[in-house]
Amino acid sequence: MILAITFLFCIFLGRFLYIQLIWEEELHYRALDQWTREIPVNAGRGAILDASGELLAGNRAAYAVYARASAVEDAEGAADLLAGFLGDRETLLRKLTDRSKSEIVLCRRTAKEVVEALAEHEVKGVYYARNDERVYPYGALASQVIGFTAYDGTGTTGLEGYYDNLLAGKKGEILFETDLVGVDLKGAAAAYLPATDGLNLRLTLDVRIQSLAERVMGRVLGETSAKAVRAIVLDPRDASVLAMVNLPSYDLNEIPRSDLTLLNSLSRNRAVSDVYEPGSTFKIITAAADIEEYLRGNKRALDPMRHVFPSARTRTVDGTTIRCWSDHKNGKHANETLAEALNNSCNPCFVDIALALGKETFYDYLAAFRFGRGTGVDFSGESIGMLLPESSLRDCDFARIGFGQSIAVTPLQLACAAASAVNGGKYYAPRLAAGVFSDDGVKEEFAPVLLGRTVSEEASRILASMLEGVVRDGSGKKAYIEGYRVAGKTGTAQKYEDGVIAQGKYVSSFVGFFPADAPRYLALIIVDEPQGSYYGSTVAAPCAKEIFEGIIDIMKIPKEDTK
Amino acid sequence: MERTNRGRLRELFRAEGRGAGDLLFLGAVILLAAYGVVCVFSASYYNAEVQYGDALFFFKKQLAGFVLGLGAIAAVSFLDYRKIEKCGLPALIASLLLLALVFVPGVGKTNYGATRWLEIGPISVQPSEIAKYAFVLFTARYFSKDPGRMRTFVGVLPVLAAGGSVCLLIMLEPNMSVTMCVGAVMIAMIFLAGLSPKALAAILVPVLLLVPVLIAAEPYRLRRLSAFMDPWVSPKEEGYQLIQSLYALANGRLFGVGLFHSRQKFRFLPFAESDFILSVIAEETGFFGIVLLFALIGFIIIRGYRIASRCETFYGYLLAAGITTVFAVQSALNALVVSGCIPPTGLPLPLVSAGNTSLVVTMAGMGLVYSVSRHRRGG
Repeated sequence: MILAITFLFCIFLGRFLYIQLIWEEELHYRALDQWTREIPVNAGRGAILDASGELLAGNRAAYAVYARASAVEDAEGAADLLAGFLGDRETLLRKLTDRSKSEIVLCRRTAKEVVEALAEHEVKGVYYARNDERVYPYGALASQVIGFTAYDGTGTTGLEGYYDNLLAGKKGEILFETDLVGVDLKGAAAAYLPATDGLNLRLTLDVRIQSLAERVMGRVLGETSAKAVRAIVLDPRDASVLAMVNLPSYDLNEIPRSDLTLLNSLSRNRAVSDVYEPGSTFKIITAAADIEEYLRGNKRALDPMRHVFPSARTRTVDGTTIRCWSDHKNGKHANETLAEALNNSCNPCFVDIALALGKETFYDYLAAFRFGRGTGVDFSGESIGMLLPESSLRDCDFARIGFGQSIAVTPLQLACAAASAVNGGKYYAPRLAAGVFSDDGVKEEFAPVLLGRTVSEEASRILASMLEGVVRDGSGKKAYIEGYRVAGKTGTAQKYEDGVIAQGKYVSSFVGFFPADAPRYLALIIVDEPQGSYYGSTVAAPCAKEIFEGIIDIMKIPKEDTK
Repeated sequence: MERTNRGRLRELFRAEGRGAGDLLFLGAVILLAAYGVVCVFSASYYNAEVQYGDALFFFKKQLAGFVLGLGAIAAVSFLDYRKIEKCGLPALIASLLLLALVFVPGVGKTNYGATRWLEIGPISVQPSEIAKYAFVLFTARYFSKDPGRMRTFVGVLPVLAAGGSVCLLIMLEPNMSVTMCVGAVMIAMIFLAGLSPKALAAILVPVLLLVPVLIAAEPYRLRRLSAFMDPWVSPKEEGYQLIQSLYALANGRLFGVGLFHSRQKFRFLPFAESDFILSVIAEETGFFGIVLLFALIGFIIIRGYRIASRCETFYGYLLAAGITTVFAVQSALNALVVSGCIPPTGLPLPLVSAGNTSLVVTMAGMGLVYSVSRHRRGG
């Protein structure tokens, strides 16, 4: 008998020991969850500022009002009181008595003053949690780049989305010790786990240049009745983006959330996410490849100084005839050197270059200039463009790539490739954010990332001076500014729709930079489907000029002796 | 034959008794019951405040039961246990009647889906608590009157019939755990009386075979059984009670969170003051608290059997051993339930759990055991 009972005692004592010594941790962890109810403490979201500290996205103090029905003592009284601040009494009363949830939102967002007034009444079971409202002092400025946040404050698009993990900070909690049904325990202190505010993000964007570019592009959009306009201004020295314009745009403070199609269209950063056929601006890349190969001693490369291109208007490749946009009559486009071919934007010359270099060499340059791959920009949803695969490439298509057809690129890809071609041959990953800092002094600068080299410094210098000639003597004349060494290249591309040329639809563009001998500012201008005049030289080049003049003004850049 | 088991017990306890009886035994019983009152207060005050608006609701009841129990001990102790020998059969019949009375509408009270209580005015009584002891009284009387009875199957039959009918009535309430408890006591009594192991097996096997049948008969038992295997399968229903008990144990760790500091008693743990008071004790005093508690309980059991083995009358021996067995079996079963070794059933921890019937009757029973120790010299 005693043996039997001792045996039973040993069994359960062993079991007690197992639970209380070994299993204890896991069980305790599970139990903790049921002992507390929590009210979230939202972290302050970091601000977004431009390069000089101008506020682009900030917070307006606001609060969410919560109730824990089980801790509410006088629901009727509380409803009466709250109705004076938060509206509809019946809804409030229903929420105050809803015990199906441990806590319920009475009001998602209300002004700080309201909460301060409310807090004085010390309503039992009603809590306040910071829930700031995101405000954008510049409204529509750079809206696609900055992006916006969802209702709950998490960044969803643009830089708000890309850098959400840095901006968001870490939520805190107020933990209440409660009984089974959520009634606060007497004498139990509420534990407060403070929130960690998010970091402030400093951009490379310069609000002055951004505003300037938006103003110029906005006017062009109106004047040409174009479908859309885009512009990128960057510092070629490290590919910091100074301005990125997509118009039409929308006000970040009044996001059209009800019309999702419209919102998706307006909020899309097409300078990064959409591709287009670049046309003649792409000749910069073809020329850069030829100069570099020639300098390296490639016998197939054409001498950039002395080679004289045949004057014929057409080239026949694979039985297809490729024509120049000009009729080559009356001595036009005759006996051109590379510099003149660039000035005239003569298509057959660039066909010659491409074919002379050959697919393999040329595609190496395309890869180095990051066509068909990402630029490494700090932005979500970047397109890599469209590049026909080298292995199945027909010669006639390859020939067209030489002057910017049969290839699709993003505006950012083209701007960065051009920057690399003229900055001494260094390809930097373009960047929108310059660094982060916290309000209590923690600071981190994001260093520019050199992704590789494209051409040599000498090739770069030669190309830049040729492009300066384009603005001085050639198709880019309308970007010329007296006393400043502006360089550039125009582009006029026909648009394709469903694989066929769309009649009367053009993309006019211009890539310009200055000073030509040591580029500090590079601008890519794209006017999508302008009505009336559609040449890059007449539509896009003047925009670059205006933007550059604005920059000269803002930065107080002195004139220099241009000879 | 009937002397062999008894003889073994005798060898275990060879010490001499005194005329004052086993005061250590009595002291341990009173100490345990007093500790129970404290524990009931600790486990129940929050729930009592919420449910009855009086934090001392359960405490007061338990204290009253404790005082009543002390009275019962005093009354029974002065009584010569041999005087009640003849009460065996009447006690059994009376308790069977009480058990049956539970089913009379208006008198029986249904709680948590089981009809287990009799309500007489302000007092509610749980007849099954009484029946356990009545059965012991009856069996002790029956076997001691003619020790030869256990040699034949026919001779044992009335005991089986008595135990069987008690079990049946309790089973109908339904109250499986007390049924099991009575069954275990029945087998223990027959064993204590000295039945041969072979004959014992002949009784035991059919009883054990009956267990799965009984489990299958009530669907809730099957669900509880599976909940016991893995309580997290249905954490809000069948598994809830066990999970909460495990949380309490885990929170107590080795040394406990301190008396009155249980977290689980804030309505997380159902029946915290009654069937699952051990969970709260484990949480507040830790594993070592449990060891000390069961050292005390073990001490009472060992002293109880020692009293039995030293008794010179066969009746006294069976009575003391039987009552001790009831106490031991209940204590062990409760601890097994609380620690999740066997499926959860409602069974109080004797002398500790809230519940006056159990407390008073158990204390009275312990008083009887003490009386046996007092009157061992032919008084």
